[in-house]
Amino acid sequence: MLRMVPLPRFAGEETGACCFPPPCSEAKRGRGTTRRVVEGARRSALGYLGDEPMSRTQGAGRAAAVAVFLAAVFVAIPWAIASTGRTDLYYTLSSVALLAIASGGVWLTFYIGRINIGQGAWALAGGYASAVLVATYGWSFWLSLPAAGLICAFASVLVGLPILRLRGVYFSMVTLVLTEVARLTALALPITNGARGITSIPTPGPIRLFGLTIVPAFDSLAEPNRAFYFLSAAMMTLCFAGLWRLVHSRLGQLFAALRQNEDLASSMGVNVPLLRVVAYAISSFLGGVGGAIFVAIAQSIYPSSFTINDSVNFMLNCFLGGLGFVFGPMLGTLVLYFGWDLLFQTGPYQLLIYSGSMILLMLVLPNGILSLLNLRRRAP
Amino acid sequence: MEQVIANGLYLGAQYALIALGLTLIFALMNVLNFAHGQMYVLGGFVVYQVYGLMKLPFVVALVAAAATLAVLGALLERFLFRTVIRRSEREESTMLLAAGIAYFLDAAILLMFGEKQRGVHKIVSGVFVWDNLILPWDRILVAGLAVLFIVAFILMMQYTKPGRAMRAMAQDRTAAQLMGVPVQFYGLVGFALGAMLAGLVGGLLVTITGVNSGIGGPISIKAFMMVMIGGAGVTGGAIAGGFILGMLESVGLTVLHAYGDLTYLAIFVAMMIFLAIRPNGLMGKPWG
Amino acid sequence: MTDPILAVRDLTKRYGGLTAVNEVSFDVQEGEILSIIGPNGAGKSTIFKLISSFVTPTRGEVRFRGEVVSGLAAHVVARKGVVRTFQETTIFKGMTARDSVIVAHHLRSRASLFGFFFGTAAARRDEDAFGRSADEILDFLGLGAVRNELASNLPQGHLRALGIAIGLAADPKILLLDEPFAGMNVDETNQAVEMVRAVRDRGVTCLLVEHDMAAVMKISDRIVVINFGVKIAEGTPAAIRADEKVIEAYLGVEDESIGL
Repeated sequence: MLRMVPLPRFAGEETGACCFPPPCSEAKRGRGTTRRVVEGARRSALGYLGDEPMSRTQGAGRAAAVAVFLAAVFVAIPWAIASTGRTDLYYTLSSVALLAIASGGVWLTFYIGRINIGQGAWALAGGYASAVLVATYGWSFWLSLPAAGLICAFASVLVGLPILRLRGVYFSMVTLVLTEVARLTALALPITNGARGITSIPTPGPIRLFGLTIVPAFDSLAEPNRAFYFLSAAMMTLCFAGLWRLVHSRLGQLFAALRQNEDLASSMGVNVPLLRVVAYAISSFLGGVGGAIFVAIAQSIYPSSFTINDSVNFMLNCFLGGLGFVFGPMLGTLVLYFGWDLLFQTGPYQLLIYSGSMILLMLVLPNGILSLLNLRRRAP
Repeated sequence: MEQVIANGLYLGAQYALIALGLTLIFALMNVLNFAHGQMYVLGGFVVYQVYGLMKLPFVVALVAAAATLAVLGALLERFLFRTVIRRSEREESTMLLAAGIAYFLDAAILLMFGEKQRGVHKIVSGVFVWDNLILPWDRILVAGLAVLFIVAFILMMQYTKPGRAMRAMAQDRTAAQLMGVPVQFYGLVGFALGAMLAGLVGGLLVTITGVNSGIGGPISIKAFMMVMIGGAGVTGGAIAGGFILGMLESVGLTVLHAYGDLTYLAIFVAMMIFLAIRPNGLMGKPWG
Repeated sequence: MTDPILAVRDLTKRYGGLTAVNEVSFDVQEGEILSIIGPNGAGKSTIFKLISSFVTPTRGEVRFRGEVVSGLAAHVVARKGVVRTFQETTIFKGMTARDSVIVAHHLRSRASLFGFFFGTAAARRDEDAFGRSADEILDFLGLGAVRNELASNLPQGHLRALGIAIGLAADPKILLLDEPFAGMNVDETNQAVEMVRAVRDRGVTCLLVEHDMAAVMKISDRIVVINFGVKIAEGTPAAIRADEKVIEAYLGVEDESIGL
């Protein structure tokens, strides 16, 4: 009998249509005046904060920028959403925050000079870790969240030790393949329930300390999406504050040294393989945490929840925001996500216009949006 | 057994041709062309249009596909990649550009040709039977053409002036420039050639497996794998990588027939272990 | 003679069928300036990489203060005090001169990296100490005026000095200098020679791999001559100058003026 060898199947084919849809395709479409306000507020905060690593600037302006950022995220946005009734934006903005966390991890691998197109794998792994712990083993979500991050960090050490030896495009291509490995593993393992995925995952329960309820159970709330927004925004703030501190600490200096010259760094006695793995583990930790919260919001996870498209998008978020800026990924995620959403009304031309403007943006600002700050600084 | 090997060789010839185009662009421009698979798809659709719908001879269709892609590649290099490479602080920025182009081509192909799977009628009919081995003649013809193109490519790189210039450029761009090689021009030629190779394979394979607008990304990933196995930027590596992946798939899909996707999981994991041992692939030079 | 600080024994490196370095042995005494010279492609650079452990020998060993260091990871060897500089102007291009040197102090840090993350007192003390030490090193090598310049903006001569400064910051017992005079004119070479002497006078043993014969003759306490991967002579500059095998090797391979 003649056996045809079929062309192998990859992620995009199951969903049909086009192969590279940006990750936000299932997001609720949100528009409104609030968004512009929000975006403006964030950008002004970024304007002050987004600084090139290593340079030392005035502390007062920075404190003010942090205050503006916090006020915008935790007061102005919820207030604006409440007064306009656009509660669907809670979901959208939570997604942005979570994708930004994962992108922040990718940014850190960029920072040590590796182009990481495999964050989707860790987001998926983190999501499954949390889902299995909560749904199968009855853990509290709040415990599963750090556990998911740590599981990803630990697994990424094992994976990272060999693959971080690869440089340049080799590393990029392997990480890209890693996303496929994660998806196929999720399909194959019994504990992940194959293609049917894990569904009906309970929402986060309450946190009680000494009999006091600090965080109420999410399903007892009138607006769980609002709670998820606060959770996501708080995690994003925490993660990026940590990232900022990291980059401006000695560890960050060493990471920068790795990026610029691994041989020279090792000749100074820097344990290059160790630091690379540390950076990659932190990166994967962020991916896992982002994925875990995402799963808690969606209450379900499938092998196709994070695919190669997501991995590519995490990378694009970093590029778009600007690789020289800690807060670049945050801005990049926001712009790409809302840009995609905004183009929804163009119907079949959505992807065409989206990718077209991305290409144009690359031509005009090949060093990312935040590189505009450098131009302004150089001008006077 | 013979069947598995024959299938592997047939697949390998196609894959090698795909990988050659990708590795050429990488060697000359240091660009990882994410849009390679989309170029393949476009080549398939050109043949579908010219041969399938307009009923012109297959040779005409194949030439049309090659020409379309060569022009597209040249335009992309001249107006997009060249600019971004010049203005960007980090050469990785071309990856974003390439990914953007991949999205763009995906969208354009979807708009132009729809999302349906498209196929054309066979270029030759009949089946070759020899002992246990059964192969349709069109597969043999397509594999033969692929091998022919590979040989032509190697001869061109080896013995013609542009070929020598491009090899010099791949070795050391600065040195080539100092020796008087017009590197900008050959960058453009190389990009056009690389895109053309992708289009040619697409045009060949549409006669057998058909084409749809969604397979661009997966094809790119396969091309990446072949290049990684063989070693990036090396002609021999691309060919070796293509045949190895073709053979692995053929064997894997037979042995792990019942498990479907496990074949790819096994291939991926094997490749990652292999790369851990040989970070530059079979023949690649150290990178970075 | 006292125990050598560095002992190279039967060092051999083969790449496929090609023997780049063949059974080379020599000692480096504490506090001396020893140069390895030889025509292009003689295997000097390979010896250099073998000693700094960037390459693992096929056979033979390198001992630092009696302890075998060949085969260890490069950063481990650096931590023990065998620090190399780079032939190319290999620096951290995106950092200022001062930041580069501060980063190179990494090894001396007592606070953990997590201490630095949270800004503990020990970490801040280290940070201040490193800053002062970096300034001292930069002044010592005449880089005080350009300490806040981006390394990528520095001229060639300053880059070489910065390379040495980065090496010094890693607290070496023996500093391996890869062609420190390559591409320099006479004035620049004379300055660089003074710089290397000054480094030695700080108590750092210096091992040079160099092509510039004139400078080597001027600066070295002893010289090891390599040709085709084999040691053909070892001795004081005066002895090397008179050695027939050396003259033959140089004149036989290259017709370039070698400044004998």
